[in-house]
Amino acid sequence: MKRSELVFDRPGRLEAVTPPEERGLGRDDVRLLVTTPAGHTHAHFRDLSQFLGPGDLLVANDSATLPASLPASGSVGAFTLNLSTQYEPNLWLTEPRWSPDKPGPLPIESGDKIQVGGVSAQWVTPYPGLPALWFVHSQSDLREAMARHGSPIRYGYVPQAYPLEMYQTIFSATPGSAEMPSAARPFTQQVLESLRRRGVNIARVTLHTGVSSQEVETDDIEAETLYPEPFKVSSSTAQAVNAARREGRRVIAIGTTVVRALESAWDGEQVQPREGFTRLYIHPGRGMHVVQGLLTGFHDPVTSHLAMLYALAGRDLIREAYEEAIREGYLWHEFGDSHLIMM
Amino acid sequence: MKRVALITGASRGLGAVIATLLSRQEYDLVLTARGQEALEQLAVSLIGYGGRPPTGTLRGKVRAIAGDVANPAHQRALVGAAQELGRLDILINNASDLGPSPLPPLANYPLEALEQVLAVNLIAPLGLIQEALPLLKASGGLVVNISSDAARVGYPGWGGYGSSKAALDLITLTLANELRDAGVGVVGVDPGDMRTDMHQQAFPGEDISDRPSPEVTIPFWLWLFGQAPLAVSGQRYQAQAEQWEVRGEKE
Repeated sequence: MKRSELVFDRPGRLEAVTPPEERGLGRDDVRLLVTTPAGHTHAHFRDLSQFLGPGDLLVANDSATLPASLPASGSVGAFTLNLSTQYEPNLWLTEPRWSPDKPGPLPIESGDKIQVGGVSAQWVTPYPGLPALWFVHSQSDLREAMARHGSPIRYGYVPQAYPLEMYQTIFSATPGSAEMPSAARPFTQQVLESLRRRGVNIARVTLHTGVSSQEVETDDIEAETLYPEPFKVSSSTAQAVNAARREGRRVIAIGTTVVRALESAWDGEQVQPREGFTRLYIHPGRGMHVVQGLLTGFHDPVTSHLAMLYALAGRDLIREAYEEAIREGYLWHEFGDSHLIMM
Repeated sequence: MKRVALITGASRGLGAVIATLLSRQEYDLVLTARGQEALEQLAVSLIGYGGRPPTGTLRGKVRAIAGDVANPAHQRALVGAAQELGRLDILINNASDLGPSPLPPLANYPLEALEQVLAVNLIAPLGLIQEALPLLKASGGLVVNISSDAARVGYPGWGGYGSSKAALDLITLTLANELRDAGVGVVGVDPGDMRTDMHQQAFPGEDISDRPSPEVTIPFWLWLFGQAPLAVSGQRYQAQAEQWEVRGEKE
């Protein structure tokens, strides 16, 4: 698949720049676009259960968001260090930026010393093939520095800082994500209750997200480098997913992170309990095996997430849905609206 | 906490990449390779002159000892150097002998050459592990044996090298079972095709510039060294694979 197939125009005004709570709405008041092969329906997230049925299995990511953005300084002066993925207590993959709204690259040399949230550290090496990301070795656990000096990672389109609670979901249980697994953000107790009454089941996986997927740069999107993320699919979740599939019930992922975890646990016939790091890249050339539906947000042009949506629903249906979403003024990004795709 | 790693075949290619990574994480290192000059150049690049890092840097110490890993006296010297550094957390058996280049078919493989391949790729790693076991047990350490897809496929010409790596894979698996109760982890790693001197020897005169440089395996090594040794012990990893798993809960 060519990069050009992932390009579309999204007007800048369709960015959610504040959480819905700041716009006088509840989390579950965001809009919900429902896409099926039969067409597109406009609804609100609080009505989610109307589009699901008894026996459907929703799978959520229980990773909680870290205050992963730390103030840092070095020979280049002050900068922002966004921690992406923990490899061991004193080793993180990071994205150094000049500031939340000003990305790198910074002039960095392997071995140079820096200060991160009050801790001495040094650049180890860039991530092969992704020069914006650097491994950092620190003299103590940077989770402690985060607890004292960290804030949630934020980019330029969100002008104001919000507390960490704004970046957690109702499923958040295991801290480890650099960025909120945002597809689950609109879930409320009321929505969970309506799903329960409808006979919809919920299972959980863990996948700790790294910093936002970078724009695809290669012309053949299959050649793009993705960095790995920690994931875990428990035996109880593997059993629940396999039982649903065996009995012809639908499995619906809450977020692209859940698709990545479940597909990483797929052995060709069923889902196995698995734990590790995965850099699985799901695009139309690879296909998707485990889920029949995906509840997600709206994704930017030329991203790997968009390629995953194409793998689930086909390019034409997704492009049609995005034209509909742009025409109807749906909002993009982590505080924006929702999209349920059911095949 | 100070950590110590011993790397064979450290002067070039994959071994040098791993040595550099560990040095920048403040590991103390014992490095060996046959060529003294290249090995000393690497040591100097890691920490500067004199074998000790300048004060205030986040680097470990480096001991560079050139020699033949198949020589038992050299094996003792390497483990002795680790002992002087105080401990041994990671032993990486990376030094390998490809055998004659171009690679001969087994039908007329020189048997003395095969004995040499087995001595370096199979007997020497086990000798080093045996020598290092007391230190590895004391630290709950990790042994990494570098393998190859040639151990599994049966590529024409690769029978000598491949059979040595296949036997090394079985040593890895057996030791993982034997040493689990002692708290020592043992893994095999197939790094995949890389643009190295050894790969060029295997394909003399051919253009290998389409192969990735050994740096492509860096994320895997950083992941592996971050795992508890017993969570990975007995596994055979592909460093360039889509995912790396730990032994999780079993059914």
